[in-house]
This record gives sequence, structure tokens and C-alpha cells, in this order.
Amino acid sequence: MEALLSLSNDLASAVERAAPAIVAVHARRLPSTGIHWRPGIVVTAEHTVRTEEDITVTTSDGRSLAARLAGRDPGTDLAVLRVEGLTAPTASLGDDAALRVGHMVLALGYGPRVSWGVISALGPRWRSGRGGEIDRLVRLDLVLYPGFSGGPLVDATGRVVGLNTSGLAHETRLAVPGITVSRVMDELLRQGHVSRGYLGLGMQPVRLPDPLRAQLGLPGDTGLIVVTVAPDGPAARAGVLLGDVLVGLGGEPVSDLDDVQAHLGAGRVGAALTALVIRAGARAELRITVGEQPRRRT
Amino acid sequence: MSATATAFSAGPLDSAAAALAATLARSTVEVRPLGRGAGGGAAVGAGVVWHGDGLILTNAHVARGHVSVVLSDGRVLSARLVARDVERDLAALVVDATGLPAAEIGDSSALRVGELVVAVGNPLGLVRALSAGLVHAVGRRAIQADLRLAPGNSGGPLADARGRVVGLNAMIVGGLAVAVPSNEARRFVREQLRP
Repeated sequence: MEALLSLSNDLASAVERAAPAIVAVHARRLPSTGIHWRPGIVVTAEHTVRTEEDITVTTSDGRSLAARLAGRDPGTDLAVLRVEGLTAPTASLGDDAALRVGHMVLALGYGPRVSWGVISALGPRWRSGRGGEIDRLVRLDLVLYPGFSGGPLVDATGRVVGLNTSGLAHETRLAVPGITVSRVMDELLRQGHVSRGYLGLGMQPVRLPDPLRAQLGLPGDTGLIVVTVAPDGPAARAGVLLGDVLVGLGGEPVSDLDDVQAHLGAGRVGAALTALVIRAGARAELRITVGEQPRRRT
Repeated sequence: MSATATAFSAGPLDSAAAALAATLARSTVEVRPLGRGAGGGAAVGAGVVWHGDGLILTNAHVARGHVSVVLSDGRVLSARLVARDVERDLAALVVDATGLPAAEIGDSSALRVGELVVAVGNPLGLVRALSAGLVHAVGRRAIQADLRLAPGNSGGPLADARGRVVGLNAMIVGGLAVAVPSNEARRFVREQLRP
């Protein structure tokens, strides 16, 4: 039984290695878990932060410390806290790019408590239902027990490769990969929120009639008809009108809202985009300066 | 890909797990209510052979009176309920037999969060089925394990990777297995069965 025993010891050691960097976050009625990511900086799941004041964290050695919310991003379900006097070690970060389907992983909650499972699927960059860009899809086959959201996904050597959350997709356990946590954390620490590009348009897909496509030389068979134009928004200022049909952005054809979103990611605020629209049966080009998504309070 | 395939070998792990399952299954009994049909009714739970001279431990909620037990060698024996503690959910049964394959009892206070544990029992009527998981949290009165149990696991062993029994599975709470620690069971045997 030596092989089993050594696996068992490795798993317990992995927990012991990762546990000191875990805190309990008290920002709602039931605590959630946070990860001490950089000195004095804790990251947790945004959906577990229900109050912005009087947040405290409890360290693995039982100390209670005050925390200030540095920023939150519902899109990636990440919230960043500044905690003064946090002397616990920071998480030892692993490489989420090295994860493979079938790898044995652990999810940790404050306590520490642990859940065991495997990476059930990996995928490329994806966009969450709330518009956040996540660099890699990491799907887990394990149970996230109450309070586990915001806790670390730990590989078999005890290194942190992501942040677990049940808040990004319904009925699906996912981890936000470490690379996304670090990127969003940088932005939240700098400006308290994540900038997303904004056109100020409401659109819906429409089928383009074949004669029109042929006449205007359009590659796709669908476009996006403008159904709302935000007053004084970036598109309104560029002259986009209700009823225009958007068929291209930045020189590329667009046929659905994902195609549009692809032009509005991080770092696109302030960039100029050429929009190709069909107006009154003819092509028209408009220059839109990408604005910043107005922030909703959560 | 071929390098990956040849590097991967689950052999030692597989055979270790099979040996562990076999060791535990030998010391696990089925507990059945008395008097329904020839060999009693369907299994209501499991139990652990604590001493080779006929002492079997199970949960109090499994042994509510005299019961029959089915040993791993197939023998069906009637068992006397000699002690029962509802608070700790423990019960002691005695069967008239010697030389039974007693389980090795481990020290539950030495458990580490994250270490491997396995459970053997009769979930959903399956006889001596194995489930594997990890220690989720350890308390003095209970061990929580991230491990799938079902009714019929009650009273059966929770064991570490060496096959030492560290608890008796008692409940499922919020998807977690909850076991009575082996040290608590030792205390129960010491207190209740003083010679």
C-alpha cells in the first residue's frame, strides 16, 4: 500500500503548504474564503462581498484584521482587499497553463477544509455572462462546499493555480486561472474597477437579404440592427442612427454580439474603431471612439 | 503523446487501492434486522470487526436491538446488542465466534486534513462497496470527509491509506461524510465493556 500512502501524504502536505495563505473573509452573513495573493493583498470571489464597509478577515492562525475593498469586478467574479498587518505567507503560485484534464486538484476553504477532485475540462479564453474576460476555462469535478468560493484551487504539489467560484456559471464549478487573477488584481489596485469598452448601442441580429448582400459585396448573411442608441454615447457622437445595420467593425465582419464584444476588451477604451453600417440600402462608414462602460453599482 | 502514455502508470496505485479494499472488506460486516426471512432482512448498515473474539462495532442507529450480521466469509450469525450510546451513535455487538479478521484500529487524532480516506459499507444494497475521498476537517467528536456515502454505509469503517480504521461512518451532512472518530470508539469500548 506504499503507493497509496505516499499519495495520501502528498495530498495532506499540499494542504499544509497552501493553508497558511488562506483567510476567512467576513463580508456577508456567512464567511467566504480569500487568498493572500501578494503581501497585504487578498483576493476573493466578488459575489461573496455583500458589504463594502466593516470587512474583516481571519487568518489561518486565528487573528482578525480589518480589510478595505480596493476594487471589485463582477465580470470575473473577483474582489481585491487591502489588509494591513497581514504577516501570513503569500500563496505559492503555480502555472495554470500546465494544468491538464484529469489532473488531481484540491479546493481549499478557510479552516482549512478541503475538497478533492479532478480538472474535468479546459478551454480557451472565454467571456462570462457578466462580460468578464477569463484567460482560460478551467472546469472542476469537485464539490465546492459552503464558504469555499474565493478559495484556492491547489495542484498536487500545493501550489495555487486559480480561484474557485460557484458564482460564474450556474451549476458549474469553475476556477478563475491565476493569470486572470493577477491581471484583474493589477487593474483593480490601480483604478478600483476593470475598464470595458462601450459603444452605447443596443443591437440585435438580423438576416441580410441576398440581393442586398450581393449588391453591397457583404461576406456574412447576418448583421446587427441598432435598436437603441444611448444619448450622447460614443456611437451617438459618431452619428450612428436607430435602424442602421452594423456589418463590420475595425475592418472585420460582425454577425453577432460576441463579434462586437471582441473589439471592446481590456485596453480598448479610447481607441478609434471604423464601423461599417448599412443605411438606406447603402454602405456607410463611421468613426467611433470607444468609450468606457458606465459602472453599475452592485 | 506516446511519451506521456508510457510515463503514465497507475499500476502501483491501482494494486495498492485493491489491496486496501480487500483488507477492509474482510473486517467489514453487514448488519441486518432479525427475523425477516431466513437470513434476516436486507442490510440496514455495516459494522467493523473490532476484536477477533466476536466484538463488532456499529452505529447506534443501525443496531436498535438484536440483529444478525453477515461476515465477509458469508457466515450469518445472530448478534447480541451489549452496549449502545445514542449520543455518540455507537453500539457494540457480540457474536459467538473466534478468530474473526479484526480491523487494525488507527489513531484518529493523528489524521491530517487532505489525507486519503476510504469507506466500506453496503450503500444502496451493494455489498462492501468502496468509496474514496479526503479528510475535509477533523474535530474531537467527528471527522468530516469529502467522500460520497449512501445509506447502508452507516456503521462501516472509514480508514486511512494504510487500511487502519480511523472512524465509523455515521451521517451525511451537506454532502460530507461524517464519521465517529476511532478514538471516540475506543473510549466507548473501554467505558462500556470493562471486564
